[in-house]
Amino acid sequence: MIEPSRELRDACAIVGTGHSRLGRVPGVSSLDLLVEAMRNAIADSGINVKDIDGIVCRGPDDIYSHHQQIGARLGINVKFSTSLDNGGASQILAVAIASMAIKAGMASTVICGYGRDSWSRTHSSEEARVKNQTTPDDQLPKEFAPEYGYFGAVAAHAFGATRHMHLYGTTRDQFGEIAVACREHALRNPDAQMKKPLSIAQYHEAPQIVSPFGLYDCSLRSDGAGAVIVTSSERARDLRQPPVLIKGFGSFNNLRGWFNDDNMVVTAAKKSGEIAYAMAGVGPDDVDTAQIYDCFTYMVLTQLEDYGFCKKGEGGDFVASGALRMGGRLPTNTSGGQLSEAHVEGMLQVVEGARQMRHTYPADRQVKDAEIALVSGHGGNQVCHSTLILGRA
Amino acid sequence: MSDRARKPLPKPAPESVPYWEATKRHQLELPKCNACGKFWFPPSKSCPNCLAADFDFKPVSGRGKVYSFVTFHRVYHPAFAGEVPYVVAIVELEEGPRLLSNIIGIKPDAVKCEMPVKVVFDDVAENVSVPKFTPA
Ligand SMILES: [Zn+2]
Repeated sequence: MIEPSRELRDACAIVGTGHSRLGRVPGVSSLDLLVEAMRNAIADSGINVKDIDGIVCRGPDDIYSHHQQIGARLGINVKFSTSLDNGGASQILAVAIASMAIKAGMASTVICGYGRDSWSRTHSSEEARVKNQTTPDDQLPKEFAPEYGYFGAVAAHAFGATRHMHLYGTTRDQFGEIAVACREHALRNPDAQMKKPLSIAQYHEAPQIVSPFGLYDCSLRSDGAGAVIVTSSERARDLRQPPVLIKGFGSFNNLRGWFNDDNMVVTAAKKSGEIAYAMAGVGPDDVDTAQIYDCFTYMVLTQLEDYGFCKKGEGGDFVASGALRMGGRLPTNTSGGQLSEAHVEGMLQVVEGARQMRHTYPADRQVKDAEIALVSGHGGNQVCHSTLILGRA
Repeated sequence: MSDRARKPLPKPAPESVPYWEATKRHQLELPKCNACGKFWFPPSKSCPNCLAADFDFKPVSGRGKVYSFVTFHRVYHPAFAGEVPYVVAIVELEEGPRLLSNIIGIKPDAVKCEMPVKVVFDDVAENVSVPKFTPA
């Protein structure tokens, strides 16, 4: 394998984090939600907006030239600007591209973010849900799917869950523990969308959607946005917040397809993680907290295996041990994740990973003595993956 | 019957027209590379194994096994309201390629991974036949 450049290790830092109102935010477009998160990140960093010279962002699939619209709202011209197209893997990729642009001298301070209005607009009707967000009609499958009644992301991911259960005896109780752990974390997060406890009994009683997935295996419908600001570690030292070092990142894309090879059981997280670990100079044993892209419960379980926190096939036992809870081996999705905080396509997990590294949370939300956080992003048609490893300066 | 209540028919991309022409005759035919001999799916104009563009649509056995499957309980399209719960599976053909399809002629909770299946054809409209699978 080609080794990732060590020059990027600790070269850049996250110096500002922000999120918008989350949950149901009627009357605000995804673009304005993202600007709300960006304004919060800018205020958090103490940076003047005019000193931002890069934008890498993303939004709902039907908004073209996304970065141009965000730049117009921020009122800035910038050196480096683009929007990404890797689904839920885009948000970490934005931070990676920002770091590379800074290292290459293409920009000095880059704002990254993602915003959506899924509750209020894009997923507001059954029809919209069938259409899988706002994917334009021309991009929807026309054959080999709708004629079989095959629609939506739930079923696509559920195939992986079925196969994993077949190969390794993984159970719905184990998937349920992921949902319950995320909910427990969300109850400590005043901004989280979900406010009530969830028991394993409620998990099992909930209606089936596309089995093996029931209601609580599925992430939320949300309006919301998140943003972070990236600059060089050198510049970060003079700024307001404790800098969060970008120790490493990676990406991998199983473009042969989710249905091909063993991609639905051994995801692109495996190779993406190997690259990120190599850049960061750390391994799974060094990671204190993980923020794992939880579009569905099963996706957390299989990624934990792919990242080497346990062996392939042992993810069920790993989560059942209580590892994901506060005080467990690997407190995971500590803001509640997309299952219980809000589904903002992985951007809130970048935000949460960075905040855990600052050690500024109240004791009940802070992963004690956490030095390294791993964040994952997953998406496209289940084949794109990205990994971010953050550390305390 | 309103459009909303009608199940979607496949709208073939140019590269999959021969596939749907064959299913009309109740034949399952997939592109087969004349350079490396492999079948592939979905159809495209060159072989994803060796990139050769020399290929023909050739019959396959129609036999395979269930690689994975899911059961739809939620109605995502009104035309399937009377069908739930129904099974959508990834079928791995003996020749290698994997196809998305329905498993029919068996209760959803009896379907298992690795279960042997064979193709059957569902004439869903005049001149449109959709391959489905049933326990072999
Ligand atoms: Zn070939």
